[in-house]
Amino acid sequence: MDTEKKQRLHDAGIDVADALGRFMGNENMLEKFLGKFTQDKNYSALVEAFDKGDPEAALTASHTLKGVCGNLSMSALFEILTEQVRLLREGDFDGAKALMGSITEKYTEIISVING
Amino acid sequence: MSISASNEKPTDRILIVDDDEMNRAILANIFEPYYVIDEAEDGKAGLDMILSDKERYCAVLLDVMMPNMNGIEVLRELKKADLLNKIPVFLITAEANNDTLHEAYHLGVMDVILKPVTPFVVLRRIDSVVELFKARKVLGDRVIQQDIELLEKAQQIIELNHGLIEALSTAIEFRNGESGEHVRRIHDITQFIFENTELGDGMSSEEIQNIALASIMHDVGKIAIPDNILGKPGRLTPEEFEIMKTHTTQGGELLDKIPQLKDSGVYSYAYDIARHHHERWDGRGYPDKLKGDEISIWAQVVSIADVYDALSCKRCYKDAFPREKVVRMIKDGECGTFSPRLLEAFFSVEDTLAGFYSKKEETA
Repeated sequence: MDTEKKQRLHDAGIDVADALGRFMGNENMLEKFLGKFTQDKNYSALVEAFDKGDPEAALTASHTLKGVCGNLSMSALFEILTEQVRLLREGDFDGAKALMGSITEKYTEIISVING
Repeated sequence: MSISASNEKPTDRILIVDDDEMNRAILANIFEPYYVIDEAEDGKAGLDMILSDKERYCAVLLDVMMPNMNGIEVLRELKKADLLNKIPVFLITAEANNDTLHEAYHLGVMDVILKPVTPFVVLRRIDSVVELFKARKVLGDRVIQQDIELLEKAQQIIELNHGLIEALSTAIEFRNGESGEHVRRIHDITQFIFENTELGDGMSSEEIQNIALASIMHDVGKIAIPDNILGKPGRLTPEEFEIMKTHTTQGGELLDKIPQLKDSGVYSYAYDIARHHHERWDGRGYPDKLKGDEISIWAQVVSIADVYDALSCKRCYKDAFPREKVVRMIKDGECGTFSPRLLEAFFSVEDTLAGFYSKKEETA
């Protein structure tokens, strides 16, 4: 992973140094899981759950996505998802849904940086 | 492990139970240099792996939210199997809400570690506990081993004591011109009477063992009696008999001078039996002229056993008598008076006692 890409990932809200630390400095492993993140079904599942008005499916998807973001040190996205999980647990479906805008924005940015 | 011994090939095994591939990969990557790693993709699979070989894992890392049995349910099953105090289980969880935490700790989880994990923290926390469990197991094994060795040593000492007591008593019997069989039979008769008649009611088997061992030493005082009296064929003069009678008091004094014996459960019986095995129920015995139940039941039993054995065998002053004559002499009070209760108990088992004498060598 070159320095430029690291910088772009960093700009998209990924704490690359922290993520690499979690993978014990193994860059290949980090890249593999960043690649898998682009294939991850949880974001689309989350969108679909809110479209259908299914709070349970939304919680599952939000929680799982949050876990993935945490492991990959996607700090900005992780923080919003943490808040969304909290709201869903409290039963505030609309409040949680209201966060989808910023989640989609961050998510799309990250995907494009990883793919780019 | 482990962290300290990382150059060696790992042998300790850890189980990672998590439904998320990346979570498993991260944890495996952290622990791989120090542990052998097994992975399970849901709670049920993980539980089965633990239960199929309870010695296999030195630690289990357990996710909470999983399909097919969640982490808390796995903990409950491990608790049921009484494994949580043998295998340290760590809950690895993203959300630690209070209810989950409370139940997990209540069930006996070792620690809760928050996701996303920080490698050196999770490594250090788990490694410390694994080391602790290993040290505790080694220590426990060693303590058990030492206990076994101590018991074996104690048993050897007891056997040695018995051997020495028998050797001493037999040596004294030899001076008396008898075989060592006499003390052995007094021991067996005494033990048999207490074990098989109402005289032993309420006595523990240890107490009976101590009394039987003490009975072996009933005549130790004879070591102080001159040879010409001890070995005299025929009747003793009144003066000689007075000296002979002192074997009871001298026996007590001798036993009193053995400090190791005084500390043991045998001493009080041994002293009493040595001193009082020639007392008589009617008060005409020696040396203390005790009467009736002033004489302890063990001294009474050894007294009748001693008479029975003396009559049944050849002695320097007499031949062996046939069994019928022995029984009649005791019943008729020709060889001392005994309490009715003692006589009843004695004759209730005399049939068996007679079998202690092999006809060829001992009886007429």
